[in-house]
Amino acid sequence: MSDFLASVERRAFKQAVFAVHEEESALDIVQDSMMRLAEKYSDRPAAELPLLFQRILQNAIRDYFRRSKVRSTWTTLLSNLGLGGEDGEGDPFDTLEVENSPNVPDSPADRLEQSQVMASIEDAVKALPARQREAFMLRYWEELGVSETAKVMGCSEGSVKTHCSRATHALAKVLRSKGITL
Amino acid sequence: MNENEFASKLKPWLDRGAKAVGEMQATRLKSARLRAMDAYREPVRLFGLVTVNAGTAQTLHYSVMQRALLFLPIAILIGVLAVKSAQEPDLGDIDAQLLTQELPPDAFLDQDFRSWLGKSQG
Repeated sequence: MSDFLASVERRAFKQAVFAVHEEESALDIVQDSMMRLAEKYSDRPAAELPLLFQRILQNAIRDYFRRSKVRSTWTTLLSNLGLGGEDGEGDPFDTLEVENSPNVPDSPADRLEQSQVMASIEDAVKALPARQREAFMLRYWEELGVSETAKVMGCSEGSVKTHCSRATHALAKVLRSKGITL
Repeated sequence: MNENEFASKLKPWLDRGAKAVGEMQATRLKSARLRAMDAYREPVRLFGLVTVNAGTAQTLHYSVMQRALLFLPIAILIGVLAVKSAQEPDLGDIDAQLLTQELPPDAFLDQDFRSWLGKSQG
């Protein structure tokens, strides 16, 4: 259990930060989620822990919004922009250059550039609508299957696919507009 | 590049962002994990059949204990009454003896006979 929590805590924290845009609340959410998992699901096999934890984490994030009832207008605004639909520019993926992985920066200038790219990516992820971000994070970052993601999100597999598709298109579009190549 | 390829290119960046979490946040996360591990208890096997988490076992234990404490005074009362009733003579037997002996039951209603009986027993 301890190893599992250690392996997911930072990603969980980032997920919560992307969702709630605030580090203190994100830390609280992750702490509550870890506590809930440890208290209630100690009898579950290790293989079930990732899915259970994601379910608890996503519920905790939803609870946070339910409690606070505050939605960032900035997020909505940006995500609406990202969702603007087809604008005749073709598939945004087409113009993105592909490299194998983020390069290990050699010089301070490279490091700065990479940290700026990272910040831009994180900003773009933060700006996604909640459901799209949730689907994208679970499916592509946590590498859950479509059915598992659907279970965690409490929606159909078709909805997961739609959310993921919209999220990736929105991200590609934003990154392209900033001249970022992955 | 399709969706999956794009996402697989993005993932290392997200991983890198997670690794780059500040020292203070990392410390807070670690302490949160340790706190969660304090609450964690190894799963318990019940009657060698099912495995339940320690919390459930504890709840079960408390629930059994609570019920036991609730029913204990009632059980003691029932026990005392049972012992007492076992010690008391059976009225049916007394009635049977009265009816079958040679002396008629009406004799016991006679005041003189009762005083004579008391004196002779004393």
